[in-house]
Order: sequence, then C-alpha cells, then structure tokens
Amino acid sequence: MMSLTDPSLAVVVRKQIQFKMKSCIGMFSTLIVLQLIALVFSFGGTGMMGGTRSSLEYEMNYYSADIILVFTMLWAFINAILIKTKDYREDDFVFVTNRVSSNLSNIVLLLIVSIVGAITAMLSSYLLRIGIYFFSDNKEIIYTEVEFLELLTGIIAAGLFIFLFSGLGYIIGTLVQLNKTFAFIIPVVFLGFIFLVEMSSEVHLLLEIGKFYFNEESFWLLTSKTIMTSGLLFTAAMLVSNRLEVKQ
Amino acid sequence: MKVVECNELTKEHGQRKALSNLSVTIEENKITGLIGRNGSGKTTLLKILAGFWAESSGQVNVFSNRPFNSLFVSANTVFVDDQMNFPTALTLKEILEQASKFYEKWDMDLALRLFDYFSFDSKQIHNNLSKGNRSTFNMIIGLASRCALTIFDEPTTGMDAAVRKDFYRALLKDYLAHPRSIIISSHYLDELEVVLEDVLLIEEGSNLLHMPIEELKEYAIGLSGSSDQIDGWISDIDVVHTNTVGLDSKYAAVKNDFTGEALEQIKRSGVQVSSVSPGDLCVYLTQTTTGGIDDVFDRS
Amino acid sequence: MINTDGTKPIYIQISEWIETEILNGNFEKDKKVHSQYKLAEMFNINPATAAKGLNILFEQEILYNKRGLGKFVSTDARRIILDKRKNQTLKGLIQEVVLESERLDVSEEEVIEMIKLVKGDAK
Repeated sequence: MMSLTDPSLAVVVRKQIQFKMKSCIGMFSTLIVLQLIALVFSFGGTGMMGGTRSSLEYEMNYYSADIILVFTMLWAFINAILIKTKDYREDDFVFVTNRVSSNLSNIVLLLIVSIVGAITAMLSSYLLRIGIYFFSDNKEIIYTEVEFLELLTGIIAAGLFIFLFSGLGYIIGTLVQLNKTFAFIIPVVFLGFIFLVEMSSEVHLLLEIGKFYFNEESFWLLTSKTIMTSGLLFTAAMLVSNRLEVKQ
Repeated sequence: MKVVECNELTKEHGQRKALSNLSVTIEENKITGLIGRNGSGKTTLLKILAGFWAESSGQVNVFSNRPFNSLFVSANTVFVDDQMNFPTALTLKEILEQASKFYEKWDMDLALRLFDYFSFDSKQIHNNLSKGNRSTFNMIIGLASRCALTIFDEPTTGMDAAVRKDFYRALLKDYLAHPRSIIISSHYLDELEVVLEDVLLIEEGSNLLHMPIEELKEYAIGLSGSSDQIDGWISDIDVVHTNTVGLDSKYAAVKNDFTGEALEQIKRSGVQVSSVSPGDLCVYLTQTTTGGIDDVFDRS
Repeated sequence: MINTDGTKPIYIQISEWIETEILNGNFEKDKKVHSQYKLAEMFNINPATAAKGLNILFEQEILYNKRGLGKFVSTDARRIILDKRKNQTLKGLIQEVVLESERLDVSEEEVIEMIKLVKGDAK
C-alpha cells in the first residue's frame, strides 16, 4: 500500500512562503522603481514657505520622505489586490495547499514585503539628504538628527501603515474574487463617497479616519490600532475566501 | 482501501448540473481511465476530487476525507492538466526544485532524467513553452511527485504521437515500480487502453459504466450481415448501436449476452461476428442523439 | 508482439504467449514463469491484464501457484496445452474454414485438397 503523508499546516505555510518569495520577485523590483520615482518627486520638497523681513528675503524648503512612504503604501495596497488575482491564485494552488495555508502564507509574505518597503522607504530619506546636498543650490541645510531608536520606531510605524494598506488591498482582492462585480462596485462607492459625502457635508469622515491612525502620538497606541485593524481585515478576508473555490 | 468514494455527488454550475448523482468507488492502486464526451463532467469530477471545487450536494471522500479545502488530500494528490500555471519568475528547473519541496515522495532523479530525455532547457520559462511541451513538462511533475492519487486531466493535449507513446510507457513503468492510484481522463480511449485497469465512463454527469477494461472489451460484440438477418437476431436483445452499410447490409453492436452455442448459430447463419473496441463502444454508449452524423445530412 | 487492435483480448494473447514459450521449452516444468509485473513491463500493458492472462493458465492447470513466490509450470503443462490447442484452437480454425467454404460454395473435397496443398508447400 502506498503510504500517505500528513504534513502540518505550519510546514506547508513555511514552504509556501519560500515558494512565494521566489516567485514574487517582481514585487521587489517594482518597489525599487516606485521608490526611486518618489525620491525624484521628493527633491521638489514637500513643503515650502518664504518671505521677506526688512532687507532679508528668505525661502524655506521642507524635504521629507513622506512621498516615498505614501508611494510605498499604495504599492502595498496594489500588491495585496494582485496577489488575489487569478494568475497568482493559480500559482498558489499548483502544489500542496488549502485555503488556510494559502491565506496565511500570503499574509506573511505581505508582512515581509511591508517590512522591506518600510526599511527602504525610511533609509531613502538619507538618500534624499545626500541628493539634496549635491543637487540643490540651497545655501543652508538643516537636518533633524535621528537617533537609532527613533529610526527603528519610525521603520516599525511605517511598516505597520504599509501592512495596514496591504490588508485593505487584500480584502478588496478577496471580495473581487468572491464576485467580479466588486471590481466595479468598490471604486464607484469610494469615489461616490468622496464626491457626495466628503465634499458636501460638514463631517469629513475619511479625514477623521486618517487622523485616527496617522496623528497618533503614542507609539504603542499606534501599534495596537494598526495591528488590530490589519488583523481584522485579514481575518475577514480569510473567512470570505475559505468558502471560495479555486481555478474557476 | 478505497481511494475515492462518491455518493450521489452533484455539482451545479449556476443552472447547469455538471455532475448529477454520481456514485462511484475507486479502489487503491489502479489506473482508471475516465472517459466521456465533451462536457460530460470529467473535469468537474476531477477538480472536486483534487479539492479545488466544492460539491453542491452528495458526499465525496478521497482517502476518507472530504477533499475540499483539505491539506491532507492536497498533500497526497497531484492534479495535472493543460491549465497548470507556474510563476513566470521561475525557470523550469526552479519549478522542479519547488515541487520537490512540496511533495514528500518527489523523485528528483526521475524528474531530471525525464527533463533531459525530452530535451528541456533548465533556463526556459513555462509560459513560453509550446502547447505540447507544456503538457510534457506538466506530465513530469505528475509522475515525479509520486502522489498516492495522481490525476491527469487530458494530459496529452498537444503532444505528438511519439511523446504520447513515451508518456504512456513512462506512466506504466513508474506505476509498476511505485504502484499508486492514477486517474486519467481522455476522450481517446484507444491509445490509452493498454495501460488501464478500469474504465469509468460518464455521461451527463452520471456514472454510466465502471468496469475493468478487459470486461469492457467483451461487453459487446459486433454483428454484420444483411439487414433482414441482423434484424432477426437483434429483435429482443440489448442493441448498443446500429449502422446501415451499403444497400442492404447492417452492422449492429449488441450487448454480449450470448452463450457459446448461440454465437455458433449466428456465425453459421452467415453473420460475421467481430469484437467491439472499448473506444468505439464508449462512443456508441454516449451517443446523445439517435443515429449518427449521417442523419444530419440524410434528411430524406 | 502484442496486437492491440482489439481483435483478440490482450490477456488471451498473454496466455498464448506463455503457452508458446512452454511449448518451445523456454519455461520448463516446475520453473517460475514471469510475474504479472514483468509481463506488464515487457508488453507495455496494465499488470491487471497480465494477471488475468496468468490466471487463465492457472485455472486450466497449466500453471500452479506457490504462495508468495509466483506461478510455476505444472508437470502436465505441455499435454494440457497441446490438448487444448487441438480441441479448441484448431477446431475453431477448422470451423472458420468450413463456414467460409460454405459461403463460397467450395466442396469438402476441394477444401481437403487445399489443406494438402498447403501442407505440401510447407514441407
């Protein structure tokens, strides 16, 4: 009799992560391209103020890696949608898998990708400084000194935000897989919401939501807010996709 | 041990029933040919067995587990078809390496020897292969993974005659060395039949017939002679297929329930008795419309 | 060696091949014959088909079973095969000849003449 194998979920998930890391190499190359584009945009400065005081005329350019971070979040959002499209999904089911292991490995993959994105985004601010030093004809450059611990918390916070966006993308991707019409419904509802509700009413819901996450001063609160929200998004996606068939 | 058990298995795609109350049991370590016309539900059945699709009603068990969403079934099953999709970032060699990590019984030595035999280039990308080469490569995955349940859905799509022959030979040799349950779907039974043990013929999503191929070969016999003679013999027996040949000759494939003596009598009356190949028989049994293609043209 | 056009079941062809090998002396008395797997490999057929061919010979007592070791040529194998071929195969062929000669209106004498002629040619 042929003996049967009974691998544990953890083992399969680990193998799938390795498999996906190899096969999703394209994600990292788009990350590099996107961050370079964002870097170029950042040379223009994200803020500017100027004025004259008696005989003194001054202009201040404010440079930051914010654009790079925003680009990276968008990149994570789109990646997460893509990972749920037909092509990726079929790659997924070509070897040993079930829906739980597929989702778990996707989530871990997105987490790894978010961390990488966060590290490169934060470090690119140094690249930005060097760039400004060489290319800008500004007379004086003032740096904010960043300590290692601050850099580390910065990276973690950025990673969590990027991961949050991938969670958002992941659930959208899953809903689209559940029913193709979501691919139209979600953008229409979103845009409609912006135009009708956000623009006309007094309450700016999207802005409030943004503030809730991005204006959080406490690192620990920020961490728990983003982790809990991403966890919620991914769990919802898993619950939905557990019922789905593959290769339709 | 029973590898596959289906009981009243039904699968609906919207309004259409792809499988309807299919009941079948497949014992372990057999090579079973799954035969049926286009749209008879072959692929649907196989995808349910592989755990890709969920059944709509009825029971289905593979290794005594419901296959849908089962990691256990997935680990012991390989599903090969011409839609197999591999990441474009991986070369053929890398795909083999990845496969070896997932399948515990994977035989890399066999995979590489087949890989070289069919002159694949390790740097090639799966997407760029020709249709036939893609099928050949997928077949290597199917054989080398040595899964206890190995499913081939139309594995020979695009393969030329020489490769098909090699495939059947490779399949048989590897099966002899490592017996396992293999299901191959195809609409060409003739090429396949020598390697099969059992045949499962499905029609409109139901189990029409499931028996050893050797029994299927003797299931029916062909009688040919003058129309009057043939009509006389077949009036009260199970007729599978009739065909008028020329002006006054007739061919009838009938269920082989004759005793040796009756057969002698038939032969002596001048009727020619022939065997009916399993391939022809399956075509006769699954003919949905009465008559054949000729009747489309003969409107008189 | 094996004809797959469906005119003769493969397992019958397998059993006939073994019979011929016994008659030729390639499988001797009390010696083991090929296993179903060996036969499957040789003739590129499913081992179940080969097993069916072996089983026919077992039922006709041309082969006997040694538990766990396989099938062996029985003492009377030669005699049984010759007997069977004479009473079944040859008889069947002659029946065909008779039927065909009736269809063609060839007389008995003519048929016998033809047989003699063929035998003469063979010598």
